[in-house]
Amino acid sequence: MNAWIEKQRYIIDFTISSLLRRKVKNLGLLALYTLIVFILASTMFFTYSIKKEASLILKGSPEIVVQKILAGRHDLFPVGYIDTIKQIRGVVGVESRLWGYYYDSLVGANYTLLTPPKTAAGESHAKTASVEGEAGDADSAASSKPLLELNGAKLEPGTLIIGNGIARLRKLTRDDYMPFRAFDGTIMNLRIAGTLSSQSELVSSDLMLITEDDFRKLFGIDTQHVTDVIVTVKNPSEVATVAAKIKKRLIDSRPIIRDEILRTYDSIFNWRGGMMIVVFSAAVLAFVIFAWDKASGLSAGERREIGILKAVGWETSDVILMKFWEGAIVSLSAFFGGVILAYVHVFFTGSLVFEPALKGWSSLYPNFDLTPFINAEQLTTLFFLTVVPYTVATIVPIWRAATIDPDSAMRHTGE
Amino acid sequence: MIELVNVKKVFNAGNPSEFSALNSVNLCIAENHVTVLKGPSGSGKTTLLSIVGCMSRPSAGRVKLNGREITSLPERFLTDIRRKTFGFIFQQPNLIKGISVLENVMLPAYPLGEKRSQLRIKALHGLNELNLSSKANAKVEWLSGGEAQRVSIVRALINDPGIIIADEPTAHLDTKLSYRFMEIIEKFKAEGKTVIITSHDPLVYEAAMVDRVVNLRDGRIEDMPA
Amino acid sequence: MRNSTLFFYCLSAEVLVLGLLLVHASVREGAAQDSLNEKSALVKRLGLTDLCLFTEARYTRHLSQADLNTPFQDHPLSLEHFPSGSFTQPPTGVTQSR
Repeated sequence: MNAWIEKQRYIIDFTISSLLRRKVKNLGLLALYTLIVFILASTMFFTYSIKKEASLILKGSPEIVVQKILAGRHDLFPVGYIDTIKQIRGVVGVESRLWGYYYDSLVGANYTLLTPPKTAAGESHAKTASVEGEAGDADSAASSKPLLELNGAKLEPGTLIIGNGIARLRKLTRDDYMPFRAFDGTIMNLRIAGTLSSQSELVSSDLMLITEDDFRKLFGIDTQHVTDVIVTVKNPSEVATVAAKIKKRLIDSRPIIRDEILRTYDSIFNWRGGMMIVVFSAAVLAFVIFAWDKASGLSAGERREIGILKAVGWETSDVILMKFWEGAIVSLSAFFGGVILAYVHVFFTGSLVFEPALKGWSSLYPNFDLTPFINAEQLTTLFFLTVVPYTVATIVPIWRAATIDPDSAMRHTGE
Repeated sequence: MIELVNVKKVFNAGNPSEFSALNSVNLCIAENHVTVLKGPSGSGKTTLLSIVGCMSRPSAGRVKLNGREITSLPERFLTDIRRKTFGFIFQQPNLIKGISVLENVMLPAYPLGEKRSQLRIKALHGLNELNLSSKANAKVEWLSGGEAQRVSIVRALINDPGIIIADEPTAHLDTKLSYRFMEIIEKFKAEGKTVIITSHDPLVYEAAMVDRVVNLRDGRIEDMPA
Repeated sequence: MRNSTLFFYCLSAEVLVLGLLLVHASVREGAAQDSLNEKSALVKRLGLTDLCLFTEARYTRHLSQADLNTPFQDHPLSLEHFPSGSFTQPPTGVTQSR
């Protein structure tokens, strides 16, 4: 056993000396290989974390959202439809939603304006920062009480609670005023009552919470219409059935069930999506070029060296072992280096390298402070897709050279 | 003692360029003797040497080493025997560039997995014997021709072989270095080793310590063993 | 130092660092519970349906609410002009036949 270990050590010694002889070329190779692993691993970490977070956070999204469609577009939802939905068996509650977009030409950003629903969809969690003002009393004199209280900020008429991304972009703080251009051209000045936490940016970065009256005044939507409605169902397994019933009764409606929301985010950043396929293909191609270069044969110098080794008493298996270690040393170094760098990149620097691609054309960009969800399966797949092929590719070309019999080796090297 | 019985070696068998390097060679190499294989180029010296040294197999005939037939042994066993029994000195030193002299000398022993500290001592001792201690850590590119040749000799001895085989060892050495080389051969003989050399250098085959000269021509031995 | 020893040290160091990072991951995961809970609660309270990832356009901001037509509202031949469109696909319900 000891002799075997010692033998491996000797061979590794020799292999590293060999690699160091062509320092520049081999270091360049290693760097490139590490880069490929870095990109692949970063992509894996990033997409998996977001998907995982999405699946956890969006569990509490509405069971059914019902839109009204007009000429293939999302149209305003008539309040009268609500009763029709309420009559469907299995429906526990219907809540109207008011939300829309506002384009801020000053910074070229889109904001999502939202009126918080009067009751939470389903039960509310007790130990969170969002505290409803006087819970349970939803239909009491709502006008005198704030619609929502978050971190001590009260949402009252004439005020906004804004997401942290907006605060960052426009450098706004509590009690600042922000002008809005209403649908009829008039200017509305709204006071910032508070900001949503930076921790919640992934869902709230561009949100602006606004009261219902202010919303209607800003966008000119009359009280007979809302943007869409949220439907709560008594039996969770009946959701699809209820959705189907809604569609039947209201022909021009489009119900979206929670399951679809979750699956949308499951397939986000899917490798079949445009950018992802480009990244992966580029990485795979680069890798194939590598491996092919390795596998396509030996230089005269390498052949001579193998001849010498055979001549001084190395067996074919020893030579192959040497090449195996050559491949393994480079692969392992690149793999670990790449994965470590990828981890630091995604979870410590917030995916800095991807930022230009992800930011796209938007002015408002959330802080990607992701929770490290690591999928061991992906790591092992990456390992087997990079380390193994490269190591094999290093061994392949020397098969013929290694089997040279010492006599021929002696002849050639005698020249 | 090495015995060759009716050995024949054919290259490129079946091709138009087929030719017989050796034909009906019968030879006994005596132990602790210095034997020189002499003959012009193309006489089959190198081929004979490589068969004697278990570097290749004959196309026909048998080879025995110390009474044991080795002609049809599998490669692994043959390599093992070769590693332990023979030490080769080539025409060119054939050292591996980019690594030190010491590492070059230890190279043949790597696959055997011997403990490094011991191996180093053996290597350094060997270098010392040939006055090369000061060059132990030098890069092989900086050695002179004679030094390189001596390093390759030390390398050939690292596994302490009983039989030394040298193929045209003085081909690239000047007279002075050639004499030095023969002195080393004399030392080997004194240590009880068997030496087989191929050469067409008179300096070699006319040396006093040579016990037997075998003449080869066109793949056959001209003199029959007495 | 022997080359092989150096290599093993480096490799062990890398394995160690990776191990530490994985430990960091699980620690962070535990610590992130609060933040995750806060986000979940906000989603529930406000009835949110999407993550705020791409704010360029309506249909990139609210992926799950978009229908097949929305990207093409500007013009029937209006091909995808936001980079985020190459990361995301239409919501699943829209592309499958029901």
